[in-house]
Amino acid sequence: MHQARAIDLGVGLFILLGIGSVLFLLMQTMGLTGFISGNTYRLQARFDHVGDLKIRAPVAMAGVTIGRVAKITVDPIDFRALVEMQISLKYDYLPIDSDASIASSGLLGGKYVELQPGGDLEVLKDQDEIEFTQSAILLENLIGKYMLGGAKE
Amino acid sequence: MSGLVREGWLGFREFVGTFGAFQMFFFRLLPYLPKALLRPRLIIEQIYSIGVLSLVLIMFGGFFVGMVLALQSYSTLVEFGSADSLGAFAAEALVRELGPVVASLLFAGRACSAVASEVGLMRATEQISALELMAVDPIEHIIVPRFIAGVISVPLLAAIFSTIGMLGAYLVGVHLLGVDSGAFWSNIQVRVDMYEDVASGILKSFVFGVSASFMAVFEGYYAAPTAAGVSQAATRTVVIGSVWILLIDFILTGFMLPGV
Amino acid sequence: MVKKVCDFWSDDAVSNLVEIKDVRFSRGSRMIFNGLNFSIPRGKITAILGPSGTGKTTLVKLITGQIRPDDGVILFEGRAVCPCSRQRLYEMRRQIGVLFQSGALLTNLDVFENVAFPLRQHTKLPERLIRQIVLMKLQSVGLRGAWEHMPSELSGGMARRVALARALVMDPKLIIYDEPFAGLDPISMGVIVQLIRETNDALGITSIVVTHDVAQTEILADQSVLLSEGVVVAAGTPAELCNDRSELVQQFMRGKSDGPVPFHFPGPGYVEHLRALASS
Repeated sequence: MHQARAIDLGVGLFILLGIGSVLFLLMQTMGLTGFISGNTYRLQARFDHVGDLKIRAPVAMAGVTIGRVAKITVDPIDFRALVEMQISLKYDYLPIDSDASIASSGLLGGKYVELQPGGDLEVLKDQDEIEFTQSAILLENLIGKYMLGGAKE
Repeated sequence: MSGLVREGWLGFREFVGTFGAFQMFFFRLLPYLPKALLRPRLIIEQIYSIGVLSLVLIMFGGFFVGMVLALQSYSTLVEFGSADSLGAFAAEALVRELGPVVASLLFAGRACSAVASEVGLMRATEQISALELMAVDPIEHIIVPRFIAGVISVPLLAAIFSTIGMLGAYLVGVHLLGVDSGAFWSNIQVRVDMYEDVASGILKSFVFGVSASFMAVFEGYYAAPTAAGVSQAATRTVVIGSVWILLIDFILTGFMLPGV
Repeated sequence: MVKKVCDFWSDDAVSNLVEIKDVRFSRGSRMIFNGLNFSIPRGKITAILGPSGTGKTTLVKLITGQIRPDDGVILFEGRAVCPCSRQRLYEMRRQIGVLFQSGALLTNLDVFENVAFPLRQHTKLPERLIRQIVLMKLQSVGLRGAWEHMPSELSGGMARRVALARALVMDPKLIIYDEPFAGLDPISMGVIVQLIRETNDALGITSIVVTHDVAQTEILADQSVLLSEGVVVAAGTPAELCNDRSELVQQFMRGKSDGPVPFHFPGPGYVEHLRALASS
């Protein structure tokens, strides 16, 4: 009986430790993904080029993550990249003339969408499109420009 | 030459035959699973001897893998000025890949070989026949509790491995190499995804747990009742179990990686 | 066909607990039993004798339904032993105790739990009653004092006695001893012989002793059955067997090295063999 108690205790601790580890791993990644299951609304933006922006990449304003990329397609009419974003309903006060740009976090960091607030009093609503966009800065193009520029000088 | 072809053909036939035997045995186990969960006593005892007793090895392994990962990736990342992504780099590797795979491999070596030789020895010493003759189903009493205990233990062990690994990487990265502590954790949050990384890691470790535990009980149950047979069962469990883990890992990774 | 065999009934079940009728069994191309016929009377100790390799262990497996005969039928309590219905087979096995040569105790349980094991599996008796039954059975084999030991701490003879207590704990109608005398010192041997006799008479059960130990059989058995080459060569009381004039029976009972069972494994002549080796 005494031995059975010890076994029960060991197994109980083991399972708690295991579940604790799963929770720890989830918590470490929750910071970003926690609210995705909460209430969100959708915004769209068209870019000439999205670089290597990925689905689920963060959407940030002033460095604060407020949503994530839900879908990336090519618009069949103007052949630009159509990016759909899910924004937390907490942030339902984005001015309608905000502009979206694709930025990268560090040289090896992934791409994300950065929103710059505009000044309009009207706010963006579900299914609205952000008019002003700035495409991804392609490293290759930059290097090309620099070398061309360097050659001209 | 024709002899070689013949040998190859026989080997192939045996392989296919073993595959068939796997399936037969697996379908024999399935109907027992719900019934076994109603009598958790045996399963708890097995989780103890399979899972709890593997814990120290798994934690040790995770800690060192995490530390090595931090050391290795630091020297590369620092050249690109991205030492801050060290945490993300280590966490992603651990959660997606190393946690499930290395923990399962260690588990196969530590626990599955023990189960295979234990069950094989039970056959060799007629304990399985004795159960049969006492009108106790050995599959229900011996095989299924060990199988279920393995399936429950591996995902937990893999999660513990990843967590301890991250702590090891933190220790080396932040305290030894001077990466900023805040950057370490925030980069993990940015880069590691709950669904794609953590969930896929848990799913993987679950599948590995099923296949490794199954190999162990299968080899043990069908071990030849001799000293050589028992040791062969243990060896085959580790070798074939590990190959299965790596093979399934490749297939699952192919399915799960975004953009592949 | 299988149904028919399973529904077989015998009228002789009053006097015979087990009947073996025309049993044929072969493993691969090797014929092990070629029309085996005999019966085990109730309440008696029947010894099954035979040289090594005559399939005595196979016979135990047949009686307990672990394997199925190619032909013929085995009856227990007048009902056919049939591996076709697991439930019926298990029901039958609860009335049979088997004592393995090694004891086959469950190595992860102590002596008490090993003996209690069948009770815990098949009954819902209260813990107090289980304790009483187990201690009583251990007392009858003289090992009550060892109830807390693990099987690995027991000698071969003691393990066999614990296994006997376990085999008896469900109060079986039949108990089968597989080579109970092998590898025991004279004292343990005497203990086992006495235990077999006592259990048989005190509990009124039927015993089958599978062995090749002629000396112990003569002391112990009420009836002996000698198997060779897949058939019953002789049957009767041990005294009758000793006086049997058949050469094979004499060779076995007196332990002569050569006779109908040859000393040499069949092969070419010795001289021819040497010549063949020399010329090659």
